[in-house]
Amino acid sequence: MISIKNVSKWYGDFQVLTDCTTEVSKGEVVVVCGPSGSGKSTLIKCVNGLEPFQSGDIIVDGISVGSPKTDLPKLRSRVGMVFQHFELFPHLSITDNLALAQIKVLGRKEDEAKKKGLALLDRVGLSAHAAKFPGQLSGGQQQRVAIARALAMDPIAMLFDEPTSALDPEMINEVLDVMVQLAHEGMTMMCVTHEMGFARKVANRVIFMDKGAIVEDANKDEFFGSPRSERAQAFLSKILQH
Amino acid sequence: MDSWIELLHTAWPFLIRGAGYTVFFALIAMVLGLALGFAVALVRIARVPVLAQAAAVYVSAMRGTPLLVQIFVIYYGLPSVGIEFEPVTAGILALTLNVAAYLSESMRGAIAGVSRNQWLAGYSLGLNWWQTMRHVIAPQALRLAVPSLSNSLISLIKDTSLVSVITVTELMLATKEVIAQTFQPLPLYLAAAAIYWVLSALFERVQRAVEKKLELAHRH
Repeated sequence: MISIKNVSKWYGDFQVLTDCTTEVSKGEVVVVCGPSGSGKSTLIKCVNGLEPFQSGDIIVDGISVGSPKTDLPKLRSRVGMVFQHFELFPHLSITDNLALAQIKVLGRKEDEAKKKGLALLDRVGLSAHAAKFPGQLSGGQQQRVAIARALAMDPIAMLFDEPTSALDPEMINEVLDVMVQLAHEGMTMMCVTHEMGFARKVANRVIFMDKGAIVEDANKDEFFGSPRSERAQAFLSKILQH
Repeated sequence: MDSWIELLHTAWPFLIRGAGYTVFFALIAMVLGLALGFAVALVRIARVPVLAQAAAVYVSAMRGTPLLVQIFVIYYGLPSVGIEFEPVTAGILALTLNVAAYLSESMRGAIAGVSRNQWLAGYSLGLNWWQTMRHVIAPQALRLAVPSLSNSLISLIKDTSLVSVITVTELMLATKEVIAQTFQPLPLYLAAAAIYWVLSALFERVQRAVEKKLELAHRH
């Protein structure tokens, strides 16, 4: 489904991604972790072309992200993305947040789009909040709306960029619950997260990045049982200490 | 004092008609200026080759020269190269070109003030550049821009007085004409000042209503 091949990226002289290669198969859940500044957010943003990269290529459902001929908006409309800071549209009601791209990008009728949005809002447990504005919701609620907004486009895969890092601890689980549910339903997911409990529960594979490179790419049990690289071991022992 | 009241009573119809022209100039230049200003801001933000550079020069020139000089160039200068305007057209043109430059800078700043992540959120849903601008960025930028846009538009109401120099009988020239016949500058200029003030104050109320409306659609 998502195939990342030898991707490198530079900001000027500074190399942020070094020869990254990995694969996410259909229905697979892959967790990407690593210290901050390791390039994991950059890598996931390359997958739907939000960040350009200078060499290598990424193929999503047979389409090359790096090719200048690719219709990026169309590709992005098929890949859902959830951001660290939710990025709901503050000037639109929750209903309109969910409907906007369905109408403008997919050409759905307004009532159809709103109905679809409401159904997804119900699925993330927030149908009572449809008429509210993002600023009236808690962080956890906003992030669940953001997930529903991405799902409303009927994506073939979902990208999560640190979806719980900006949340108060008591709100993390409500978001993770939605993500776990999605994983169980067979959604293809690539998640940048430090939530190792989530990784243990639903991930098929865990990728560990450091200094812009993929240091370890192993199936879950292997990763948590006996990470091969020293850096992954050190990282794990730090975040699993408590 | 009685003579002042009598004087203003006589002068009133002329001043009101002049004020009508003032409002007419201000409104037309406002509408055209907002449209042109938005176009200029877009061209510069999208970094359209050639046009963006031209827009930058235009903004710099308009903000860097007095409106009075711009009016003279358009009305008295351009005829020498075969471009002639009626006074009203020349006035609207000068005011529009001038205010659009200021408005475009306010809009550009406000658009830049919307977080880059909002762009990414729009793009991630498949919206293209224009759709993201139109439905995600511009509405948020508008809210940020209202105070500074209003500043320029209030200045515009007062700047209309400058087109009196090209024989357009707006409020300022109407006042001068009445003074020429009555030789009573103080009460008449004060009356004109009061009318400008009332117009600006009315506009401030519009501004507050707009701000409130945008605030409502952006609740926290």
